[in-house]
Amino acid sequence: MALMILRSFGKMDDAKGLVAGEVRDATGARLGMWLFILSEILLFGGLFILYSAYRYKNPVDFHHASRELDVLLGTFNTIILLTSSLSMAASISAIQRGQKKLSMVLLMATIALGLFFLVNKGFEWGTKIEHGIYPNAPALLARAKGEILFFGLYYVMTGLHGLHVLVGVCVLLVMLILASKEKIRSTHFTPLENSGLYWHLVDIIWIFLYPLFYLIS
Amino acid sequence: MKPEEEILKTRYQTYALVWVTLILLTGITLSAAGRELGGWTVLIALVIAGTKSGLVLTYFMHLRSERLTVFKIIIPLVLAVFLVFILLTFSDLAFRGGVK
Repeated sequence: MALMILRSFGKMDDAKGLVAGEVRDATGARLGMWLFILSEILLFGGLFILYSAYRYKNPVDFHHASRELDVLLGTFNTIILLTSSLSMAASISAIQRGQKKLSMVLLMATIALGLFFLVNKGFEWGTKIEHGIYPNAPALLARAKGEILFFGLYYVMTGLHGLHVLVGVCVLLVMLILASKEKIRSTHFTPLENSGLYWHLVDIIWIFLYPLFYLIS
Repeated sequence: MKPEEEILKTRYQTYALVWVTLILLTGITLSAAGRELGGWTVLIALVIAGTKSGLVLTYFMHLRSERLTVFKIIIPLVLAVFLVFILLTFSDLAFRGGVK
């Protein structure tokens, strides 16, 4: 993905425009990013199918295990991620209009919200681990089979998602630096657009994780 | 025309409206999960999550301004592949019989 973003960045040039002989293909760069995003959807898709199959086989255990998750914290994190998607999209709108400062502030807000999400996730995991619920924990292994499966999937799926949030934060930090150096500007913002696509993908994955883990009734 | 201007400049108000809708849908998911709706709960949750994703894809991810036909093909194609995976997995599960 980093390669994708770097590619879309193209050759460095001055503010006047393209260097002679340089070819830039913003649509091609976006298409490349989309192909990566679709492969990510299938990666998470596989995990969602695994989840569905185990839930289909162990409906009662999944229900019991799900009730132990903090719905309030999960909902709060959903709102944080949805809001970060708003600030991300608005940041691109701002750079398109040449409002560099506004764009950078919105980008910083997106990064801050992403970090906030991770901190909450950390507290959530911390509490679970304190209660002896972590992969291969003796207290967890003593439980019903379905509950062990539920918490295994919970750690793998929210963990992989959290890793994506962390990567997204790092990518956005790079974009912030590039914007400050005018390497991203109103006439050349494809790297920011592609980073935004990645950020929204992470949001979409959480949109599905939230009801499937926190809201089993 | 510079290629990067292909992406429509979306108004901030449009994004704000999409965000409000997303938050409202989250509220509906949350309140629907609190009721005893039996088997419908999962379906409702997934339909709402699908709607929310559709909004993010269309507006935040700018699919509505992509003009290239290939964008209109690859996304349904991947979703179709995913659907085949789901159907195969569940047809296997449903007819396995005694296997745990």
